[in-house]
Amino acid sequence: MMSPAALPTTRSTRDLLHQLAAQGHRAPIGTHLILHRHPDSGAIVCEGERLGGVIAETADYFHTPLAVPLMDLTIEKEALLGARGVAPAESPTYHFDEPPGPGTAPEVQGRMRIACDAIRAVAARGDLLPMGMGIGPFSLMTKLVADPISPVFLAGQGTTAAEEPEVAVVERCLELGLEWVLAYASAQAGAGAKALILCEPAANLVYFSPHQLAEGWEIFDRYVMDPLRAIKARLDALGVELVFHDCGELTQGMVERFATLDAAMISFGSSRLLWEDARLVPAHTVLYGNLPTKRFISEQLSVGEVSRMASDLDARMRATGHPFILGSECDVLSVAGSERVILDKVEAFLQATA
Amino acid sequence: MSELHPLSQAVMAGRRKEVPDLVQQCLDAGEDAKTIVETRLVPSMMAVGERFKRNEIFVPEMLIAARAMKEALRILEPLLVAAGVRPEHTAVIGTVEGDLHDIGKNLVAMMWKGANIAVVDLGVNVTAAKFAEAVGQHGAQLVGLSALLTTTMPAMRSTVQAIRATGRPVKIVIGGAPITREFAEEIGADGFAPDAGSAVDEAMAVLKAGS
Repeated sequence: MMSPAALPTTRSTRDLLHQLAAQGHRAPIGTHLILHRHPDSGAIVCEGERLGGVIAETADYFHTPLAVPLMDLTIEKEALLGARGVAPAESPTYHFDEPPGPGTAPEVQGRMRIACDAIRAVAARGDLLPMGMGIGPFSLMTKLVADPISPVFLAGQGTTAAEEPEVAVVERCLELGLEWVLAYASAQAGAGAKALILCEPAANLVYFSPHQLAEGWEIFDRYVMDPLRAIKARLDALGVELVFHDCGELTQGMVERFATLDAAMISFGSSRLLWEDARLVPAHTVLYGNLPTKRFISEQLSVGEVSRMASDLDARMRATGHPFILGSECDVLSVAGSERVILDKVEAFLQATA
Repeated sequence: MSELHPLSQAVMAGRRKEVPDLVQQCLDAGEDAKTIVETRLVPSMMAVGERFKRNEIFVPEMLIAARAMKEALRILEPLLVAAGVRPEHTAVIGTVEGDLHDIGKNLVAMMWKGANIAVVDLGVNVTAAKFAEAVGQHGAQLVGLSALLTTTMPAMRSTVQAIRATGRPVKIVIGGAPITREFAEEIGADGFAPDAGSAVDEAMAVLKAGS
């Protein structure tokens, strides 16, 4: 196993990912699976050091140096709302119905602090690549308003915040969300993260009509790409690599735009044909994914079929010559009663004949 | 589209601000609220659903159309209530316990309303007991269960069991990203809708099968 401790700079984190790709490395986003093998998983997520231990345990279990945190995309919303007096229990269903005011500056506390402590624990081990995790500003915005789709569409038609209150709420939530995402990214970098997995699953064709985008990309660029570029600039300044994840259904134009982010690695969902996307993504960006792990619970998808899919994807990606790490389309969730079924399929794709 | 009434056209195109005047024009022309719903709104939303199924439009266009329809119903529903007109079917819909995703559920609710089904939206993270209770409380003939996460699929199974335990002759249609028709059959649901555009056809099919 390679030691990321010997590769402390931004450049070498990217090199590590490329080296892993060249070695035919395979790994799932599997921390949730391993966490829920522990009977006290609920207590573990409340203690940074123990959570870090599970992240490291996951890396060991799947024989990877990539220490991937839980893909918990509720943390930023809870923190943002918490700073405005909204209780954590109310956070999941809380929505702004008017533009939120300035509020206080983002402060890393609660579950954000626990996640940072977990990264610190992983970094202390020295033989893993400590990674951070965060939600993208657009996806965070979609959690902050009750109906984000309609105002995004209206804004794409040219409706301004001054003309439509719902557009004003969306645009203010985007601004506010970016502040929190940046603060959390900086905190994770400070805790020792060498790469940040930025998840923007709502940037997809459910939220952006391909018909509207065919007439112009201004709204996608303004609502999705500009905030992502701001985060990328912050990560560059911090010496942290970007790993971009979007498991939503995408158009080619969206992939082309994400490809310009200069991410060290990009992870797409199983709706994408990665061997075709390889033409759209620069060679200095590793492609990751994208076996349909959301379907691993299904009895209709056999272990044998998963092995076959893994071998097929691996062969197709090798044929492209693009740096590639075989993995999951998203985080692999542990489902009560189906743990073994899911884990068997993860192990099948890790062991499938290349 | 050119053969459709201007109100239907406005709804399909999501031109919400034009809708109140067009509804008023229909009323001024002597059409009653029930006729407007059945001949102007329902056909327009059915057409929207068909276009969605054929990938001619996408979720945002569908939502914008549904908003325009809602604008029309805002004017028409008081008239319908005053006239004692009720939709033929009532549905209860929600996202199952543990799941907070609502886009698919909202779309199906809008499409069912567009098909002139009375829809009681229970929201997200709805317990099996709450679904079962709502079926009785609202006299529903149809239930829609949504789940986006694989982790909440077991909740869908227990919800179907809880609804069946009430003994009411209700039809259950399920949907969501990880859901398949095989899973629907396995857990004893009556129907499966892979998308919101198909949800109306599926609802009508299961209701017809049970009548």
